[in-house]
Amino acid sequence: MSDKHDAGGVTTTGHVWDDDLGDFTNQPPKWWMLGLTASAIWCVVYFLYYPSFPISSAHGFFKGIAGWTAIAEMDADTTIVDEVRGKYEAKLKGMTPAAILADSELTEYVTRSGKVLFGDNCAACHGTNGVGAADAQGFIAPILRDDDWLYGGKIGDIYTSISAGRQGVMIAHKDVLSAAEIDTLANAVAAGKPTSTPLFTEKGCVVCHGPDGKGLAAMGSANLTDSIWRFDGSVEGIKRTITYGVNAGPDARVAVMPSFTAAGKLSDTEIKKLAVYVYKFGGGQADAPAAPAAPVSAPAAK
Amino acid sequence: MEATQATPVKYDMEVVRWFTIAAAIYAVVGTLVGVIIASELAWPFLNLDIPYITFGRLRPLHTNAVIFAFGGCTLFATGFYMVQRTGATKLWSNGLAWFTFWGWNLIIVCAVLALPLGMTEGKEYAELPWIVDIMIAVVWLSFGLNHMMTVAIRKTSHIYVSNWFTMSMIVMITYLHVVNSLAIPVSLTNSYSVFSGVQDAMVQWWWGHNAVGFYLTAGFLGIMYYFVPKQSGRPVFSYRLSVLHFWALTFGYVWLGSHHLQYTALPDWTGSLGAAVSLAMIIPSWGGAMNGMMTLSGAWDKLRTDYVLRFLVVALAFYAMSTFEGPVMSLKSVNALSHYTDWTVGHVHSGALGWMAMVAYGALYHMVKKLWGVEKMYSDSLVNVHFWLATIGTVIYIVALWVSGIMQGLMWRDYDEYGTLTYTFVESVSAMHPYYVMRMVGGLTFTLGAAIALFNIVMTVSQASAKRSSGAVPAKA
Amino acid sequence: MSDHDKIYSTKFQDKIERSTVLMFVVIALAVAVGGIVEIVPLFYVPNTGVNGGDGTYNGTVHKDAAGNAISMDKIVWNPETSAHKTLEDWLPGDGVRPYKPLELAGRAVYIREGCYLCHSQQIRPFRDEKDRYGHYSIAEESMYDHPFQWGSKRTGPDLARLGGKYSDEWHRRHLSHPRDVVPESVMPNYFWLADGNVNVAETVQTMKVMTMMPFNPVPKTIYTDAYIDGAAAQLEGKTEMEALIAYLQGLGNHVKFEEGVNYRD
Ligand code: HEC
Ligand code: HEC
Ligand code: HEC
Ligand code: HEM
Ligand code: HEM
Ligand SMILES: [Ca+2]
Ligand SMILES: [Ca+2]
Ligand SMILES: [Cu+2]
Repeated sequence: MSDKHDAGGVTTTGHVWDDDLGDFTNQPPKWWMLGLTASAIWCVVYFLYYPSFPISSAHGFFKGIAGWTAIAEMDADTTIVDEVRGKYEAKLKGMTPAAILADSELTEYVTRSGKVLFGDNCAACHGTNGVGAADAQGFIAPILRDDDWLYGGKIGDIYTSISAGRQGVMIAHKDVLSAAEIDTLANAVAAGKPTSTPLFTEKGCVVCHGPDGKGLAAMGSANLTDSIWRFDGSVEGIKRTITYGVNAGPDARVAVMPSFTAAGKLSDTEIKKLAVYVYKFGGGQADAPAAPAAPVSAPAAK
Repeated sequence: MEATQATPVKYDMEVVRWFTIAAAIYAVVGTLVGVIIASELAWPFLNLDIPYITFGRLRPLHTNAVIFAFGGCTLFATGFYMVQRTGATKLWSNGLAWFTFWGWNLIIVCAVLALPLGMTEGKEYAELPWIVDIMIAVVWLSFGLNHMMTVAIRKTSHIYVSNWFTMSMIVMITYLHVVNSLAIPVSLTNSYSVFSGVQDAMVQWWWGHNAVGFYLTAGFLGIMYYFVPKQSGRPVFSYRLSVLHFWALTFGYVWLGSHHLQYTALPDWTGSLGAAVSLAMIIPSWGGAMNGMMTLSGAWDKLRTDYVLRFLVVALAFYAMSTFEGPVMSLKSVNALSHYTDWTVGHVHSGALGWMAMVAYGALYHMVKKLWGVEKMYSDSLVNVHFWLATIGTVIYIVALWVSGIMQGLMWRDYDEYGTLTYTFVESVSAMHPYYVMRMVGGLTFTLGAAIALFNIVMTVSQASAKRSSGAVPAKA
Repeated sequence: MSDHDKIYSTKFQDKIERSTVLMFVVIALAVAVGGIVEIVPLFYVPNTGVNGGDGTYNGTVHKDAAGNAISMDKIVWNPETSAHKTLEDWLPGDGVRPYKPLELAGRAVYIREGCYLCHSQQIRPFRDEKDRYGHYSIAEESMYDHPFQWGSKRTGPDLARLGGKYSDEWHRRHLSHPRDVVPESVMPNYFWLADGNVNVAETVQTMKVMTMMPFNPVPKTIYTDAYIDGAAAQLEGKTEMEALIAYLQGLGNHVKFEEGVNYRD
């Protein structure tokens, strides 16, 4: 049998299966045998070097002679980036967002680190770069790239919006107004002239949207005269807002900006960074001239 | 090819024929589902808003179809084939083998219904509902028992190396399946694992890795050890190598599961343990690849004409490649980058397409000719076409995912010169698009090859059956 | 040429190759070792989130920056010592707690839809993951997760600390049509989850099963009989969408992580 397979004098083990299956008696290649030994040694070395087995020793578990832990590795890696960002971060800690804005180097740093913070945390609602994200039901959250603000575009207002969250409330009018009245109001609002109908004052819209319909930043009521729509500017969309209100029960428009402080999602520094980042989209409004530095650093609002 | 020598033994081969055909069919189905989910990742509207075919439900169907339907039928076909021929005996129980056949196919039908319906246990590669798990255990043991009893009644003095591997697969998969599937039912189709958190993670990846290690690797090494010598007409290169690498793999592979859990909430020692042994598995794995390659080394000339042999050679090359890649990915610093990315998926498919599927086809083509007693396939040039489609498809697939995986990993961890993260998560999502398209193209190429193989096999079989019924060729095997 | 009886390996190997039973037994022993070494200790060594049954968590001790041990009750919610006694009173930061009925129903949807195939729930201790997702995950956080949902692929972002990041409304709109909200997304549309109601009976049964688990069961002091009986009322008429959102909003805000504490081994 084996002579049939004679390969340069190497014999087979003599066992034959299924007519012609056999094994040569070749030795495994040398490199392979060395490799196998090396592998065994490797395991032992690695086991000693790293924490590798659940056997306890005098100091808890065997930690490995390198003293390696995943956490220590993270700390070491963090130190490397901290060397770069540490000096900025240290300064940011004690500064107000307005002060950061007045410092061009810090502003540059903050805008850089704001990109991913905004992209990973805010863009889902406010769209990439704050251009807004809308589905069939209208915008999820306000556009942040324009200079129209519900709650105010001063750096402090923006900071408060992010840190404390926002939840504008507008009551539902389905039981207060007739269909015809809602229709009239909606058409007036859609045309950008809310005050053109007396209903606007009579039915109490002015209480929230102000006598001129331009909104009140204190409660985040929308400016109804500027054709910038928070939800949806079609007559149908406006009717829906009026009928069911905002954050006022079932069918209402929902407008919830989470509080990133309460949720523990972002640190105070991160929120400051974001405030500056959003401000720098271009729509940020300068603080009142009371602040001495204001005239110098006042960014052109758009 | 030397003609089958006249043997007095009459084997039970009908069940093998059925498993062979089933494997060829499931290969097409499973890879087709792969192409569909690859397309869904490239063009998400293809989820078509139909719950049953959304990515999250089809992905388990893909993995189950390729692993359990295609892989399983291949393992059963070859297992029953090899154990009889190497033992020169009929099956211990032909009836039980048919039970395995119908039982396994029933399980596959259950999977095809259950997974799109969202019935899942939520553990990768072990998704099937508890009731199907029980069926799997029963059918698996029916195969295991039959295989081992057939080994026991063999006419040869020694057990052939292929059967060692198959036996280690049988034992290990039984352990894994039973322990990992332990769950308490809440309904006929739903249940919850008895393990939770860290322990569940370790049990799951002990299963997950060794489903790969023993089912897609040991099982297929068994196939390799029979079909490579058979197809090349040469004995195994080194008996000692077989022995050493068999035991090294059997003992060592089991330790690797924790390389899937490095840096997770498990204690640090667990990940290191798996990582160390993973690297040590290169040599035992290459022992198998080497033994196969060296067996072929006296038959290189055949490669030009023997397309089936080509499948086996390329399979061994991919096996060597992916068992190098895997250990490298187990190293802490590499895993930190590769884990969670497409690189893992690319690695999976270099093993799955390049190794497991290629060996499977080498074996299937070989068996088809023997089982139906023909000298040639219906078309040998189609075998060649299939070979190239499979090879090129695999290469496109894994190259695309190397690039995308490494890019993903680098984007996630990149810091700019100010020491802050450079890329948002969605930037990494959109950067993947071209590679997802490329992967789809590679997969489609591979699937096309699988479809051609099915066609070729069906034509070969029907021609052989036609001849046989006209009495031109005496039935054999 | 070759001697049929010559042994080219060892006597023992030769014996194994001749005996089916011996081969079976040796394999069965060889493949058992690795798994036992890696799995079994996780049930008793510290820092693996196993409730020892007496509130000790296998001797796990987390130490604060000054080296003083932190009470495990700060990590895992214990209604007996906590100011908040029921699941309804529980507040984020009170410690790891079992799921509320609606969350449990939502978790079943999460599993059913295969979200874990695209989303991980396991933050590794890396500087970039910390910057992007928050504090690294610890063992205790998934102790009530039968089965664990850590995932192995991040086609979408990690969700381990998702709770509270977005509003319910955002989730509803995002889950319904992800690309309306995030144009680059490759996530399937799940608007149809709003059409189906949660399976009340099965969720109630799930709660019972969770108290029966051999490892890390939900204590009967939390899922009391009365609480389980009352669950149906909480679940009645709720859609799968609402349940899923409830589950997502509860992710990852259980433990209040203190600066300077190493919560890992
Ligand atoms: C879950 C959705 C959501 C997320 C996430 C979100 N926001 Fe908002 N945001 C809103 C909504 C809704 C409003 C409007 C609230 C209202 O109308 O009362 C708003 C309002 C604001 C405002 C006030 C706008 C104005 O016109 O006065 C600012 C500034 C803002 N968000 C910034 C951010 C930043 C920065 C982030 C990320 C840290 C963020 N938002 C994350 C939904 C969100
Ligand atoms: C309780 C205070 C309140 C009253 C009363 C009120 N609104 Fe509003 N309205 C708001 C607030 C606050 C918003 C901004 C909602 C948000 O973005 O959070 C708003 C928004 C709107 C919008 C959406 C604007 C856009 O940009 O999409 C319309 C339209 C509107 N109001 C019309 C009316 C009309 C007409 C009435 C009277 C019938 C009225 N509102 C009464 C508080 C009020
Ligand atoms: C095909 C892959 C895929 C599947 C399946 C999938 N997702 Fe996603 N998911 C994504 C991608 C990509 C993103 C990032 C883009 C985005 O926000 O949509 C994402 C984002 C998310 C987010 C926002 C996370 C954040 O922090 O911004 C949530 C929440 C989410 N998915 C929940 C789910 C749930 C729940 C399911 C199952 C019902 C699911 N996903 C299924 C791919 C997927
Ligand atoms: C035409 C060929 C194939 C294509 C196009 C394909 C495509 C895919 C896709 C798109 C995924 C999901 C990856 C992700 O979530 O990002 C996947 C996963 C997977 N496929 Fe395939 N596949 C193919 C063939 C196979 C074969 C033959 C096997 C054999 C075993 C296989 C085994 C797997 C496994 C195990 C996974 C899960 C990977 C993981 O969880 O990391 N695939 N495949
Ligand atoms: C010595 C050999 C091998 C080693 C050490 C190894 C190692 C690894 C590693 C480190 C991962 C990634 C784990 C993670 O980060 O999540 C992985 C994933 C995987 N490998 Fe291998 N691999 C080997 C061979 C193979 C082969 C030959 C195949 C296929 C036949 C294969 C199939 C898989 C699969 C399916 C996964 C995906 C698991 C998941 O769902 O996440 N591996 N392997
Ligand atoms: Ca605006
Ligand atoms: Ca996976
Ligand atoms: Cu593995």
